[in-house]
Amino acid sequence: MSLFWLVIRQLAEIGAMATTKKVITREEWEKKLNDVKIRKEDMNKLVMNFLVTEGYVEAAEKFRTESGTEPDIDLATITDRMAVKKAVQNGNVEDAIEKVNDLNPEILDTNPQLFFHLQQQRLIELIRNGKVEEALEFAQEELAPRGEENQSFLEELERTVALLAFEDVSNCPVGDLLDISQRLKTASEVNAAILTSQSHEKDPKLPSLLKMLLWAQNQLDEKAAYPRINDLSTAILEDSAV
Amino acid sequence: MPTPYASSARGLSSSDPILDRLASSDGAVKFRAIREVKNHIIGNRTKKLSYIKLGAVPAVAAALADSDPNLIVQSAAALGSFACGVDAGVRAVLDAGAFPRLIGLLSAPDEKVLDAAARSLRMIYQSKLAPKYDFFQEENMQFLLSLLKSENENLTGLGAGIVIHSCKTIGEQNILCHAGVLEKLTSLLDGSLSQRDASLESLAAIIRDNPAAVSNFVELRCGRALRSVTDLTKDKYPRTRLLACLCLISVKNSSTCYLQDIGIKTKLVYLLLELLDDSGQVGDEASFAFSSLIAEKEDLQKLAFEANAINKFNCLLQKHPIQTKRLEGVLLALADLCSKLECCRSSFLSLQVLNLVIDALTHEDASVRTAACICLRSVSRSIRNLSAGRFMNERVVFPLVQLLSDLSTSVQVAALGAISNIVVDFLPHKSTFVQCGGVKELVQLTKSMDSSLRLNAVWALRNMVFLADTICKEGVFVELTASSMASLICDPEPSVQEQALALVRNFVDGCLYSVEHAFAEDGIILDAVGRQLQKSSKIEIGIQGMYILSNIASGNEFHKDAVMQLLFPQDENGSHSFFEQFLQSPDSRLRTAAVWVVINLTFPASPGAFGRIVNLRSFGIVSRIKKMVNDSCMDVKLRARLALGQIITFGDS
Repeated sequence: MSLFWLVIRQLAEIGAMATTKKVITREEWEKKLNDVKIRKEDMNKLVMNFLVTEGYVEAAEKFRTESGTEPDIDLATITDRMAVKKAVQNGNVEDAIEKVNDLNPEILDTNPQLFFHLQQQRLIELIRNGKVEEALEFAQEELAPRGEENQSFLEELERTVALLAFEDVSNCPVGDLLDISQRLKTASEVNAAILTSQSHEKDPKLPSLLKMLLWAQNQLDEKAAYPRINDLSTAILEDSAV
Repeated sequence: MPTPYASSARGLSSSDPILDRLASSDGAVKFRAIREVKNHIIGNRTKKLSYIKLGAVPAVAAALADSDPNLIVQSAAALGSFACGVDAGVRAVLDAGAFPRLIGLLSAPDEKVLDAAARSLRMIYQSKLAPKYDFFQEENMQFLLSLLKSENENLTGLGAGIVIHSCKTIGEQNILCHAGVLEKLTSLLDGSLSQRDASLESLAAIIRDNPAAVSNFVELRCGRALRSVTDLTKDKYPRTRLLACLCLISVKNSSTCYLQDIGIKTKLVYLLLELLDDSGQVGDEASFAFSSLIAEKEDLQKLAFEANAINKFNCLLQKHPIQTKRLEGVLLALADLCSKLECCRSSFLSLQVLNLVIDALTHEDASVRTAACICLRSVSRSIRNLSAGRFMNERVVFPLVQLLSDLSTSVQVAALGAISNIVVDFLPHKSTFVQCGGVKELVQLTKSMDSSLRLNAVWALRNMVFLADTICKEGVFVELTASSMASLICDPEPSVQEQALALVRNFVDGCLYSVEHAFAEDGIILDAVGRQLQKSSKIEIGIQGMYILSNIASGNEFHKDAVMQLLFPQDENGSHSFFEQFLQSPDSRLRTAAVWVVINLTFPASPGAFGRIVNLRSFGIVSRIKKMVNDSCMDVKLRARLALGQIITFGDS
C-alpha cells in the first residue's frame, strides 16, 4: 500500500500549493514518479498475492522459484480450491461439496447461506438435466428444511422451483438461474469462503490498488493538469488537454 | 463423478445398511460409509438429527481407535459436524466416549489427524454441554498454555475455545491471568483472522466484570495490548470489530479509570449502531453488546440518544422477517435506552415504537415476549405518560394480563414488572385492568410456588392500590382476602414479606374506611404485622411496618389504641423493645418512620391523646424522643420536634 500513500501525499502537497489549476509537465511528473521508491519485494508480494488469490497455482509456483517470493499460503491448498471451483463451474456440485468438506468440514457447517446456495445450484443442475422427479424430491428433502430455518432461503427456493413450471425455461422469468453466470456466482462464493477459512483475503490486492489509482487521478484532475494514465493495461502516461 | 441424488434422510431406519457398513470389518467400506455420513450431515441439521436418532454416532466414534489415519480423519470430521450447532449431537458424541479419544489425538504425529481432532474439539467446546475445563489443575493449565503457544492455528483456536467455554468465575479469570494466559492471547492478536477473533473473544471472557483482570490487561506490554484491541475496532471484518468493542466495553465497565473519555464512549456507541446493520450473527449480537454498554449509564444513554439510536432500533423493528434473536436484542436495547431518560421515552412514543413492542408481546418465542415486557416496563417509568393514561388501554393491558398465565416463568415475572409500572396510574383508567381480569390473575400469582412470581405479583398489587380510590381498593381486597394477605406477610421469603407489608401500607393509607382493612377477619393482618415487627429481621420490613402503624394511628380512637396495644402488649414484658430499638436504629429512614407513629398517636385534637402520652412516657418513649430533637438527620430532627411539640401541649412532667 505504500505506493498509494506516497502518491496521495504528493497529490495533497500539490493540492495545497495550487488554488488555480496547476500544470505539471511530463518532465516534472516523471521526475516525481522516479522519486517514489518501491521495494522490489513489495511488488513481488503483490504479484504473488494476485496469483494465489486468483488460483493460478502453476504461475505462482514458477514465480516463487524465479523471484524467491514466498506465498502466504500452502500452494497445495490452491489446487484443492481450484478443483472445487472448477467442479461448480462444470455443474458437478455434489463433487464440489465433498471436496470442500475434505478441505475443511467447518466451512459449510458454519456458513448456512453458502451451503444453501450450493444445494440450490445442485437443484438447478438437476432441473437443467431434465431430472424432474429427482429435482422435486431433492427440493423437498434437502432444501425445504433450510427454507423453514430461514425466510430468505424460502423465497430463493420458491424462485428456483418455479423453473419446473415452465415448458421453455430459456424464456421464463427465472431463466437467469440456468445461466452459466449463476454457476460462476456460486463458484466464486465458494472460492471466497475457502479463502476466508484459510485466513486469506478473498479479493486480490492489485485491483483495489488500481481502483485507488483511478480515484486519486480523479481527485487530482480537479486541481492540476498532468500526464494521466487512461489505459490501465498499458499504463502509458498520456498528456492531458489543457 | 457425482452420484445421482438418492433419498436418505427420510429413508433412514434401523434396518438401513449404513449402520452395517459403518461397522464393517473392511476398512475401505467403512471409510466410504463414514465419509458418506459426513457429507450428508455437514450443513444439514435435519440429517444430523436423523443419523443421531439412528445411532450412527457410536459407530462413527469407534473408528477413532482405528490405525488408519485417513479413517480417523473422516471420523473426527464427522463427529465434529454432529457436534456443530446441535446439542443432541454434542451429547451423542460425548456419550460415545469420543471426547477423551479426540484429546488423545492432539498429540498424534500425523498433522491431518491432529487438525481434524482439534477442529472437532473446538466444535464441542462451542456447546454448553461440553465438559467444564478445570483450570485449577496444574497439568490442565500447562496443557492449555501449550495449546495457545502452538504454531498450529487449530490448536490455538482450540485453546481459545476452551477459555471462552470454561472461564466463568472470578477465580477462573484470576488463575488464567496469573498463569500468563492474557499474554499468550494478546500475542495472537497479530495472527490470522480466526486467531484474532478467538483471541478477542477469550480476552473478553477473562476480563469481564473483573477489575483486577482488567488492570492486568490494560498494563500488558505497557498498554500496547489495549491499543491493539482499540485498533481492531476499525478492522474491516464486522465480527472482529464487534469482539474488539466487547473487550473495550468490559474494560470500561469494570473500572472508572480506563476509557472514560467522551471520545471513546461516543465511538463505541456509533460503532455498535453501525454493526447493527450486519444481517447475520454480528448484527444480532451487536444489540446485546449495545445494551451492556449503556445499561445503568445515563451519560451513555444520552450519547446514544443523540446518535439517534431510538430511530435506528425502530427501523430495525420495521424490517420483516426479523429473526428471533435480533428481535429480542433490539427490545432489550430499547429497554435499556428508555430506563432513565425521559427524552428517550418521548422519542420512543412519538416514533410509535410502542405498537411494535405490543406486537412482540404475543410472539411465539418466550425470550421475545420477556424482552417486550421488559421494554414496556422501562418505557412506562414515564410519569408524564402514565398520567396521560398512555399505557392503560386494552391494546397494552389485555396482552399483558394474558402473559400472567404464560407457561414460562420468566415471561410471567417480566409481565408483572411491566404491570407494576402501568398500574401506578390515575383514577379513570384502572378499570381497564380490572375488566381484563388482571386483578384475578395477580391474586392467583401471589399463591404461586415460585417466590419470584409471588414477589412481583404482590409488588404489582402494591402499586395498583397506591393512592387508589375505595372502589379499586375494595375490588382488590375482596379478591385477595385478609387471610391471604396475612400469610403473605409471613411468607418464607423476606423480600415477599416486605412487599406484602408495603401493600398493606398502601391499603390502610387515606380515609378511615381504608384503615378498617387492617381489622378485617378479627385483625388477622395486624397480628401478622405485629409478629413480623417482633422478629424485625430486616430494616426494610421495620420501615414498612412502621408506616402501616403510622397510617392506622391516623384513624379514630379505636385504631390508635390498637396500635398502642401492638406496640406495648400488656401481658409481655420487654417485648415492646422493638419500638425503642427502631427509634435508635442507625438507619435514619427507620427512625423517621418510627417517629411518625408517635406523631399520629399524640395528635392533640384526639380525645385519648393524653392517656396515650402518659403510657408513652412510662415506656420511656418520650425521653427517647427528647433525645432525638438534635438528630443528625434533618428529617428525623423535624419529626421529633413536631412530636415533642404535641406532647408538650399536655404539659411536660
